[in-house]
Amino acid sequence: MYQTISIIAILITLVGIALHRIASPSRKKRQRKSAKKSIVGVLRILVYLLALLCFVVLAVTGFYPTLVLGEHISGYLLMIHATFAPILAVCLAVLAVMWASRCRLSYSDWPGFQRFVQRVTLVKSSVNKTPHNSSGLGQKLTFWLIIFLALPLILSIILSMFTLFGTYWQELLLGTHRYTALAFAMVVIVHTYLVIRT
Amino acid sequence: MKKGLISTSFLCLLVLCLSVPTVCFANETAKAQTNQKLLGDESDGSRAASIHLIPLFFENEDGEKGGKISPDDDPLLPFSTRWTCGDCHSYGIISKGWHFNANDPNVVPGRSGQPWILTDARTGTQIPLSYRPWPGTFKPEQVGLTAREFTLHFGIHTPGGGAGEVETQDPDEIMRSYISGKLEINCLSCHNADPGQDQSSSTGYAVQIVRENFRWAAAASCEFATVKGSAKSMPETYDPFMPEPLEHPKRLPPTITYRKTAFEKDNNVSFNIVREVPDHRCYFCHSNLYMEKEDTEKWSSDEDIHLTAGLKCVDCHRNGVEHNIIRGYDEEAGITQNPLAATSSCEGCHLPEGEEEPKAGRLGAPIPTHIGIPTIHFEKLTCTACHSGPWPGEKTMLTKTSRAHRLGTIGVNKSHEALPHIIAPVFAKQGGIGAAYMGRLLVLEGGKIAPHKLIWPAFWGTLKDQNVSPIDFEVVEQTVGTVFANEKLPASGDWPALSAEHITKALNSLKGAVEGEPVYVSGGKLYNLDDSGKLHQEEDPAAQPYLWPIGHNVRPAAQSLGVRYCTDCHATDAPFFFGDVTVDSPIVAGREAKRMIEFQDINPFYAWAFAFSFVFRPMMKYICLGSCAVLGLVLLLYALKALTCVVKVLAGEN
Repeated sequence: MYQTISIIAILITLVGIALHRIASPSRKKRQRKSAKKSIVGVLRILVYLLALLCFVVLAVTGFYPTLVLGEHISGYLLMIHATFAPILAVCLAVLAVMWASRCRLSYSDWPGFQRFVQRVTLVKSSVNKTPHNSSGLGQKLTFWLIIFLALPLILSIILSMFTLFGTYWQELLLGTHRYTALAFAMVVIVHTYLVIRT
Repeated sequence: MKKGLISTSFLCLLVLCLSVPTVCFANETAKAQTNQKLLGDESDGSRAASIHLIPLFFENEDGEKGGKISPDDDPLLPFSTRWTCGDCHSYGIISKGWHFNANDPNVVPGRSGQPWILTDARTGTQIPLSYRPWPGTFKPEQVGLTAREFTLHFGIHTPGGGAGEVETQDPDEIMRSYISGKLEINCLSCHNADPGQDQSSSTGYAVQIVRENFRWAAAASCEFATVKGSAKSMPETYDPFMPEPLEHPKRLPPTITYRKTAFEKDNNVSFNIVREVPDHRCYFCHSNLYMEKEDTEKWSSDEDIHLTAGLKCVDCHRNGVEHNIIRGYDEEAGITQNPLAATSSCEGCHLPEGEEEPKAGRLGAPIPTHIGIPTIHFEKLTCTACHSGPWPGEKTMLTKTSRAHRLGTIGVNKSHEALPHIIAPVFAKQGGIGAAYMGRLLVLEGGKIAPHKLIWPAFWGTLKDQNVSPIDFEVVEQTVGTVFANEKLPASGDWPALSAEHITKALNSLKGAVEGEPVYVSGGKLYNLDDSGKLHQEEDPAAQPYLWPIGHNVRPAAQSLGVRYCTDCHATDAPFFFGDVTVDSPIVAGREAKRMIEFQDINPFYAWAFAFSFVFRPMMKYICLGSCAVLGLVLLLYALKALTCVVKVLAGEN
């Protein structure tokens, strides 16, 4: 069941990204200002890259046995998974602190949000089609989603390691971890796509 | 002429028509008689104890039901359980039960069980035997044991039946079998609740088997009969049904005397028979003694938690009239099709399923919560891995069992080192579960890890086409036994200290006596002589140890593995993975140790690395929890900021 849902979900995400890429090709790259990066800026990027690396490792070690082998994660894959997981947790905490302010939703995101709602609901509106950066809104939303999903993702597996929960709750926590991980992975893929696009 | 032919044909047809239903009816009647349930085959629903005030019947010389026994009979014969108990209980059905059907090749062997162990210190032999096709055991015929010899060796700790009732085809044994009779199922071994039921005293069941008094054994075990004499010492011409005075006055023929007061009105006798077998009856054949400490007395260790809680063995190990007793392993329900199996295993009582009945454990069994135990453990381990047998130590320990060490019988060697050497607990991957599939025996491999008892086979064999088969034990005694005749055997019953020279000599002695290349198997290795006559040793599949799972004693949750912390098993020196398993051998140089993990089909480095990761696990937990706290605070902070905006908008300020 989980295997099927995961494959479908990941396929939908990838197809969605491909369609989005075809439907709205990225504009010509703007000349980036060669502004000097501060130490914090460099650190932010480094942490982001480390988090991305951890995510890739965790996704591969987590999804490979489930999706390809059809079995639970175990053996060396589990050990690698458990080694990279706390690094990702720390990176996410650091990124949350560093990026939260930049990713605040402001009034300038409102038109983009309205247009997004229109697209989804297919309702026409008289809102002025003011130009805006839709990727920016997407990045902000996916950022907050990542931070939000990270909580149940981490807590579900960490709490199961304490002598607090019996078999029923252990299974529930494991299920929560797996499905949250799937959602988390989808959001991270979209977020990364949007970051690369801009 | 033509008229006569027609009338003859008509008559033939008439006879044919009349005979067909008659024959059919006769068949149906016979069938009905066969399937007819006897008085004791089906309960009427009463849970009260049934009174067994019954006549005793003997079996006559033709193996048929003889007459009713009276204390004044001459000769006075032992009662036969087949005809006495069989009057009300279908003996034919009962004899197909688990305790009696080992030599039936059509019986599904199921999970590997305790073998019979042929042991001889003099020849360095301890070989697991079984009529059941459990991988790793040998058939008694392979070491030259006939069914009769098997009964003589091992019948003491059986409730009769099985090999004891096999008609011998060996001309040398026919007369002796006539004298000793068959070892019928001894219903009293299990069901007699009288304290006088005697399995082991100087006139009890065990001694009668040693004396070849098979016909008398069941009767001798009951409280109101005494058997003297020995069928073994009788000449082959002796007829127990028409005994004549013997030439040797010192030889005493087997004779039975019944306590006169036991016979009541009409010469009926009262038995204290119980449906539910008392635990101490099971213990006669199913006791275990773990040599974990010097003090191995009963009061220094606890019983199985189920018995302590007030249950009886037969509350879980149930059976119907067919006596197909539940063994209690996980896979049993799927393998044996026994309807009682699914509800009588650990899970059957402790993890009941189904919405129709209350979700409470059967017999008051608590439903385990397994707090903090990741569910992967239930896929990889049996319940017994954490809850049964002795707690794993740095080294395995020697173990004694009733059947292997004749516990509970007269003159038993109480030394800790007495052979055979059974080693426990060995946490090994369970395999070799024999199941029937499309009319063939299918051996299921790759099971869960479970605690096992282990025996390293030690025997003399021949190597032919890369296959090792044991040599007839009589030949071994005559050849190897002679070579080792002057070797001093330890008083403890331990192995003699053999060296490579001993083995070389013995192999040379076997060269002329057997066909094929003589070999010696011991301590996981195969020893043979190379072309130059030097002793060569190598690991060989035939030398692999035989393991069978430990079911009892079950420990309570508070004493289960992992109750303190994960490191009960997941530590770099945890005995569960890294304990030493003794490699037992009469050859001193072959006595070494293997690590437990070698029996678990797990990469040792992986197990070590995984265990090592538990050093960092508390750190990882707190780092992750700290990260979660930061994430939560950031989310809360910005959620509150967002709420401020909403409040401002709603208040018309923005």
